[in-house]
Formats: sequence, C-alpha cells, structure tokens
Amino acid sequence: MTNDTTHGPLLATPWRERDPARAVAWQTDAYAETPWHTLAAFQADIGAWQAALDAHTEPPGDWMLSTHDPYRFGCALIAAWERGDRVILPADTRPATLEALDALGAARLGDIPGGLTPSASPRTPRWGTLEAERIAVSLYTSGSTGEPQRLDKTFAQLNAELGMHAALWPLEARLTLSQVSHQHIYGLLFGVLRPLCERSPFASEVCRYPETLHQWLAHWHAQTQREAVLVSAPPTLERLPETLDWSAVDGVLARIHSSGAPLPRDAAEHAQRLLGVEVREVYGSSETGGIAWRIQQCDSKWTPFPDVEISADSEHQLWLRTPWLTDPTTWTPQADRVVVEDTRFQLLGRSDRIAKVGGKRISLTAFDHALGELPGVRRAHCMPLARRDGRLGAIVELASEAVPHDHSARRRLIQALRTALAPRFENAVLPRYWRFVETWPRDAQGKLGAACLSRLFADLDDPRAPRWLGETLDGPQSARLTLEVPERLAYVEGHFATQPVVPGVVMMRWALHAARESLDLHGVCRDMTRIKFPLLLLPGERVTLTLDATHDSSHETAHDDAHNDAMTIQLRFTFTSQRGTHGTGTLILTPPEGVHHA
Amino acid sequence: MTSELEQELKHLIIDTLELEDVTPEDIDPDEPLFVEGLGLDSIDALELGLALQKRYGIKLEADSDETRHHFRNLRTLAALVEERRTA
Repeated sequence: MTNDTTHGPLLATPWRERDPARAVAWQTDAYAETPWHTLAAFQADIGAWQAALDAHTEPPGDWMLSTHDPYRFGCALIAAWERGDRVILPADTRPATLEALDALGAARLGDIPGGLTPSASPRTPRWGTLEAERIAVSLYTSGSTGEPQRLDKTFAQLNAELGMHAALWPLEARLTLSQVSHQHIYGLLFGVLRPLCERSPFASEVCRYPETLHQWLAHWHAQTQREAVLVSAPPTLERLPETLDWSAVDGVLARIHSSGAPLPRDAAEHAQRLLGVEVREVYGSSETGGIAWRIQQCDSKWTPFPDVEISADSEHQLWLRTPWLTDPTTWTPQADRVVVEDTRFQLLGRSDRIAKVGGKRISLTAFDHALGELPGVRRAHCMPLARRDGRLGAIVELASEAVPHDHSARRRLIQALRTALAPRFENAVLPRYWRFVETWPRDAQGKLGAACLSRLFADLDDPRAPRWLGETLDGPQSARLTLEVPERLAYVEGHFATQPVVPGVVMMRWALHAARESLDLHGVCRDMTRIKFPLLLLPGERVTLTLDATHDSSHETAHDDAHNDAMTIQLRFTFTSQRGTHGTGTLILTPPEGVHHA
Repeated sequence: MTSELEQELKHLIIDTLELEDVTPEDIDPDEPLFVEGLGLDSIDALELGLALQKRYGIKLEADSDETRHHFRNLRTLAALVEERRTA
C-alpha cells in the first residue's frame, strides 16, 4: 500500500510547485482573455478562498462543498485541504440533503444557498500538511439501493488510486473534458484530481451537451494541436447525435471513459463510431473506488485494475482487496455478483435487495424480476417508501404502446400487474405506488439515484405538485417533462363535481416550477402572452410539458413598462397529451434581483 | 345509487389508505374491498379500523368473523356505520 507521505501524485502536492506558467485549467470560453488558468492564477485563487474560509472559522473545520465548475471546485478543495479542513461533498443540492449536512455542523461552501465564496482579491496561499491518514473528503453513495451512505476517504486512499490510474492511463498533457459531476468519486478522481495531480489541464467548466463537446474539441485542437480525454457516463454517450459533423474533430479524443452504470453494448459501438475511439468503462463504487475496466468491443469481461485482488464465493458474491479500501489488508464482500474466469470476471448484477413490508421480509430483486418479465414491461425497480409505512413503490419502464394515458387505462394496468403478481406474492406486500416511465430516469452519473427517486414520488407529499415521470433536456434552455395529474391533486376541486379539471393557472404554476427545477431558471413572472387552454386537463391524464426559454434584452411587451430594456426571459410552455394541446403560452420572466444569466 | 354516507366512506378509504389511483367513482359499492376488487390488504384493514374508530367511535375486534363481514364491501361498511355510530 502507498502510505509514503511524499510519494504518489496527490501527496506530492503538485499544486505547490514553482511553475507559474503551467496550465492548470483550460478556459472553455473562446473569448476569454487568456486560454489558461495558470498555476500562478490557481495558487492566487486558492489564497482567495483561504481568506474567505479564515474569515469564517479557524481551521480545522468541516465544509460541505458544491460548485458548478471543476476549476472553482479545485480551488476551494485545495484551499480547505491546505488549511487542515475536511471537505464533505453532498451528492446533490436538494434542500433536504444540505440541511442534513448543516445538522452535522458542516458550513456551506461554493455554489449552494448560503455558500461561502472567495474574497475578490487574489492572495498568496498558505500550505499546510496533508497527513496521509487524515480524512480528505466524505462522499455520499447515490442512494439508488437505499439511504445514501457517507464514506470517508483519506489522502492515502485517494493517493493510491490516483497513482494507479496515472500509471495505467497517463494523461501526458492531454486535456480532460468532464461530462460528470465532481461531487461523486468518479468525477472527483477522473475529472479534477487526476489532471491536477498529473500536471495536465482540465476544462474549467463541465461539458454538458454534445454540441458543446463538439465545439470544445474543435476549439482545443485548433488552439493546441493536442489530444483530449473525455470523462463521460452512459446517459451522455447513449445520446450522442448523429447530426453533428464528428469527422471534423476526428482524432482529437485519445480516450473516452465511462462509469456510473454499465454502458449498453450498442451505445459503446455508437460512441466509438462517432467519436473515433473506443470507450474504456470503469467499474467501481463510491465505497470501493475503481475495481476494474473493460473495452466492450474487445471483451465483455472486466479486468481488475492493477493492485486490485478479486474473488467470488459460492453464492457468486464478489470479494475485494485493494489499497484504496478503508482496510487494504482484509477481503471485503461487495453487493455485486460475478463469475470469475481466470483473471477477469463477468458482472451478473446486484445481490438481492431485502426489505420488510408489513413485518414481512421480501426480496425486492424478486419483485423487480417478476415485474420485468410481464408483457409490456421493460424493466422495474421496487423500493420501500419510508414516508408510506414502508409500502412499496414501483418504477416500471414500459414499451410505449403499454403506457397508460388516462385514469382508467392506468387503473386497469395497475390491476393487471397486481393480478399477475398475486400468485407469487402476498397481497399486503404488492407495490402500492406506481410510476410508469417510457425512459429509465437517471441522473448525470447514469444512476436512478436518490434525487431521481425523490422527484418520482414527490407528489405523494405535496398535494399541489404534478407527478414527475422523467424529463429530457434538449439543451440548456429547453426541456420536455413527462407529467401525470394525480387523482388526489388539491387543485382538482371537489370530487363531487361532474368534471374535475386542472385549472389553467395551475398549469402555469407547474411550468414555472419545472423551469426552476429542470432549467435552473429563477425568475419572477411579470407578464404573459398568447395564453390558451384549448382542452381540459383531467385527473389521471399523462401530459408532456415542453419548455423553451429565450433570453432577450430588448423585449417589449404589449404593456408599457419602465423595465422594458431590462433582461427578460420568455418561457414558452406547452402541455400536450395524446388527446391534444391542453395549455400553451409564453410567460415573461425577469431574473430575481442581482442574478444575470449569460 | 350511492348514498351520502357511502360517498363519505369512499373518501375516508381513499384518504386513510392514501390510494393514489382510486377515485370515488372507481369504488363499486357491491364489489369486495379486500383482495379482489379494490385490492386492500390486512394492513389496510387495521388502518381502516382505526379510522372508523376515530371518525365514528366504532370499535371493532381485529380479525374476527364479524369484522370480516362488515368489511366485505362498501354497503356492509355503510350499514355498520349507520347502526353503530356514536360520533
């Protein structure tokens, strides 16, 4: 195990070196004054963060850090580490997640409400000591298989894994372009710490869309004639559009990494065809770090990373021993099942997930499989809902012809599913809350994580919310959400009325709320135009909400308005179902004071 | 024809058991409430029993034949409430 305090990429603290012109990060903005954040600038930025932290609290302290940009993240992270602090990385920025960390006494840092940001002026940084056995970061698991769990990583653990990757796949001055969040272990290591420790540049921002990737690759290559490495995940790689001229950037990418979930084989081929280089998938978890890798076109089996020892027991459960586990000397069982063949292994899937419903132990895996085999069902995931006495909720992906579009179709489908399950499971343990989706909901890591799950069942706790069943982002300013009108929606007045409907004003409220959640568009609605509600929207009905935002600095509304030269946002919304258009119009928003969208 | 009390009980069932897919119109007064029909289960029976006690002051013995009879469908439930309500 690498426990040496001066060796290894992280413990060598390369950010302290005297090499002021070295490129730490690449400015993705083509119009930036200089193409780089140099090491000199990075050190000054670290100093500026430290000044802000010093003004807040004496070290050592605990910080919860979340930022949009990798560069900003790197500055804040090193600033805290060098002060002797521990950094906690929340898995998402939902208020409940952050409040739970407040309760642990961690102060907020970065791009979160109430987060501390650096002092305006660059400062000389202070270097401390990174003790190998000190906790560097605390991460959270995705929560896809239960409550998110906290995992502490020491500098020695991070150092060992970074050293292994640097030896296996050295970056050698290539640019790292990340499409994943650095709040999770894979993005933290591959997107920020690897380039930082291997003295290779990383893009200052996360590369969210394929159009951006195309543009950045072309821009990078024209500027430097150097190669790049893409740090990606299945959702992004699966959705690479054929319509972009990828041949124009052929040869710029030297490597593609994918992690978070297994990449479907056709997606691996699709990505290779368009981007010109095979995808190296990384298998691991927040708990274990990297375990193995594969290039699917060559071999579907996984090759353990150097220094990773694997074995399987008679139940096919995977056991591991690696230098970057909490205890590097003992074998630790994992939740996945495998078949070991020679030095490599096949992944069979997760071990059984067990839950107690109404005092009875049941296998959730058995439910998932039983549902998955029913006609029209592509895949299912069942989970106990803590707020509903542990009753099961089921997320079911359906073939499009099986998707219910109104109350009676939904009810018939649920009864058919329950009837089909009845011979195998007791009535009391059958799922009660059903979420039918056409596309498996996943976060940027490719997981059905806690944030996704919470959105899928949020309407149970909020009688004013629509039921969210997934969304597609068509760029930074447009989104398509699939929603259902809950039968128990508070706005659907009186069950006695002959025709309960969703009022138009509620649709507008939903559009505004969705713009906030999905497009991060925070604005005050001050006007509206072309509002129409041609068709009644009924309880149980499934609708697509399409949002398109355009930013306009010279917009003039029909009304005379003193602010008509201020920046306005036009938010176009449309609610459509199989029956037709239920609502459409344009809401005119002004950003809340002090916030300006680029 | 559904009586006012039956309508009230439909809402009580939906709200108590947080049935998200069921509207009052979906509950047929003559259809079984448990297993087939509405598909309620033993945990629901306990919760419904508590709700009846709270709302109408009716005490039922859990897991008795008599209780099973009253819980057969909405009509039997309405008859029980009509006869024994104290609140």
